[in-house]
Amino acid sequence: MKPSRTRNQEKQMKTIHSFVMSAVGLAALCASPAFAQQATFQVGALTPVTGAGAPYGAGMSKAIEIAVAEINAAGGAKGAKLVVSSEDSQTAPQAAVLGAKKLLSVSNVKALIGVWSSGESLAVMPLTNEANVLLMHASGAPALSGPPVNDKKLGFRFQATNGRFGRAFAEIAKREGYTKPATMAFNNASGLGNTEGFATAWKAAGKEVVASVVYEPNRPSYRSELQSVLRAKPDVIVTGSYLADTTIILREWYQSGVNTKWIIPGWAANADLIKALGPEVTEGIISVETVSNEAAPSYKHYAEAAGKAGINVQGNAYAAMAYDQAIILGLAVQAAGPTASGTELAKKVHEIGTAGGTQVYTFAEGKKKLEAGERVSYIGASSALNFDEFNDVTPDFAAWKIEKGQLVRKYIVKL
Amino acid sequence: MNYADYINLAINGLVEGLLMALPALALTLVYGLARFPNAATGDFVTVGGFAGFGMHHLSGSLVVAGLGGAAAGAAAALAAYWLAFRPVMRRPVITLMLTSIGVGFVLRAALGIAFGHEPRAFEMPLQRAMRFGDISILPADISLALLTIVVLAAVFVLLFMTPLGRSLRAIADDPDLARVSGIRRERCMVAMWAIAGMVCGIAGTVSGVRTVIYPDAGWNLLLPAFAAAVIGGLGSPVGAVLGAILLGMLQELATPWTGFVYKIAIGYVVMVIVLLVRPQGLFNRVQKVR
Repeated sequence: MKPSRTRNQEKQMKTIHSFVMSAVGLAALCASPAFAQQATFQVGALTPVTGAGAPYGAGMSKAIEIAVAEINAAGGAKGAKLVVSSEDSQTAPQAAVLGAKKLLSVSNVKALIGVWSSGESLAVMPLTNEANVLLMHASGAPALSGPPVNDKKLGFRFQATNGRFGRAFAEIAKREGYTKPATMAFNNASGLGNTEGFATAWKAAGKEVVASVVYEPNRPSYRSELQSVLRAKPDVIVTGSYLADTTIILREWYQSGVNTKWIIPGWAANADLIKALGPEVTEGIISVETVSNEAAPSYKHYAEAAGKAGINVQGNAYAAMAYDQAIILGLAVQAAGPTASGTELAKKVHEIGTAGGTQVYTFAEGKKKLEAGERVSYIGASSALNFDEFNDVTPDFAAWKIEKGQLVRKYIVKL
Repeated sequence: MNYADYINLAINGLVEGLLMALPALALTLVYGLARFPNAATGDFVTVGGFAGFGMHHLSGSLVVAGLGGAAAGAAAALAAYWLAFRPVMRRPVITLMLTSIGVGFVLRAALGIAFGHEPRAFEMPLQRAMRFGDISILPADISLALLTIVVLAAVFVLLFMTPLGRSLRAIADDPDLARVSGIRRERCMVAMWAIAGMVCGIAGTVSGVRTVIYPDAGWNLLLPAFAAAVIGGLGSPVGAVLGAILLGMLQELATPWTGFVYKIAIGYVVMVIVLLVRPQGLFNRVQKVR
């Protein structure tokens, strides 16, 4: 009997032991993710460090770091520390998708921020929608606004849509007294968005667009395209183009010897264009770009930190947008908690990014008010935000004129 | 549209065609001897463009720029031959083609890292067009067209009037017969790559002067050049040049009907028609089956 009892006892002991061990193991398994979720909130930064967006990408990354450091210095968002994982989108949709997949599946991010071009945002948004993750971007394509692309309303745009750019162009053309405009656009969502936005606003005022040409990019020459536009004798040509084709078009236009004026988006009519073509060709070109929210305390606060970090504060409006993306995300996490779902976070971002609450200009300020149970409205460094029903912002625009090889800011256009 | 508009379109097309003719010629030269479509041709053009830009910046002379472009294009092509193509020369065509795509990637990436992606323009005064009624002609285009014609002529003299050219043509015609006739294949290959590289380098300088230079510039020129070479008959130098001019003019003259977005498609429609009706190309004879 004895030996068998011992065996029984042993069996019992083993059972208890294994039970305790598995319980401990199970507890540890359950506890560790819960613990990790409480302690950190994963953010993905998908910025264009290389490729056509390279002049802006590095500054955007730095701006995100500044914002996250501010949030963590203020004690984090609802106790959670924000942790940033970064990927280079290479300004290419394919690379952006690869980076987004990695951030979503390996780094387990709850929000993707810093996305730049329309092509990238359009490619990445189905993935973030699928994962129920926020996407904050600075792209212009009108398609990013409503369904089907943004039907879950998880996407937030911090840059004006190309349609709004077009409206700003129309406002400026009117103010400059032009009566016979023509348009030239690159055949993609951004280029067409600009010129169609212009044409819609212009025709709504009962006026006529005398010619419009859509062209394929990456051509060695656009002379036939120009010939077709110039035949209508426009007094101004409004473009939706990038830097390379703008350089070629303006060179060929100047050589043709025909007089006309130009209204060009700021990403094409910039210092590089003047450097490439010289002061004579570029004289009088109007360059239109959104401006940061320069009068706001949040802008002053941001500009100081960004300047110290080596960001080109005046020349890189996208860095301010990336900064705002991280700050408002932090405020939404503070309001909804770090374990909130993407939909809950999106609702909070929308609420904090619209008027009606107590205005706040920094994360620390917002956190204090949120803890006190107040509703807050974050006034951004890039714009006052004020998200519309599609989560789009309406920043102010500035008209710059190129005079003797210098970009001179002339006036602000509010839509 | 009046007659002057069509003449302007034809002039634009001629200039674009001449611009395409040089890379198309380089493509066809490589195809003739090495028997594969070299996808890095466009990137040799870009290398030439950057070198030409650099030399023009230093010297201020377009001639020096062209020579610099030619030298750099030849250097890039020879380096690619020795380092990448020669080791896989006896493999199937698909291996060689994939190798050339890889070479192109490496060149584009290297240029991007070294010089950035912003477009650069030659620092030279812009001239206004000469006007004859409604027809306008650019003085710069005339000189660039002349330069292109001189380069084409030089290549043709080399191919058709020198012993080296005879050897090159013999190998293109029948490699086995050429070998048993005592033609040194390796020497001819080196010469061919150097010539193709020079042609690309000059093409890069010419298109750089006309337009802008950025790492993807030549890559964007590759497909039209390829279409031109196929239309003219792959392996036929005369065909490549005529094919390019024909394609350039057809594309521009089609725009009143097709619009500007689809003019590039015209090139490919013409290519498909040529391949259906005359598979060997417009200016090539039927290839022997080996």
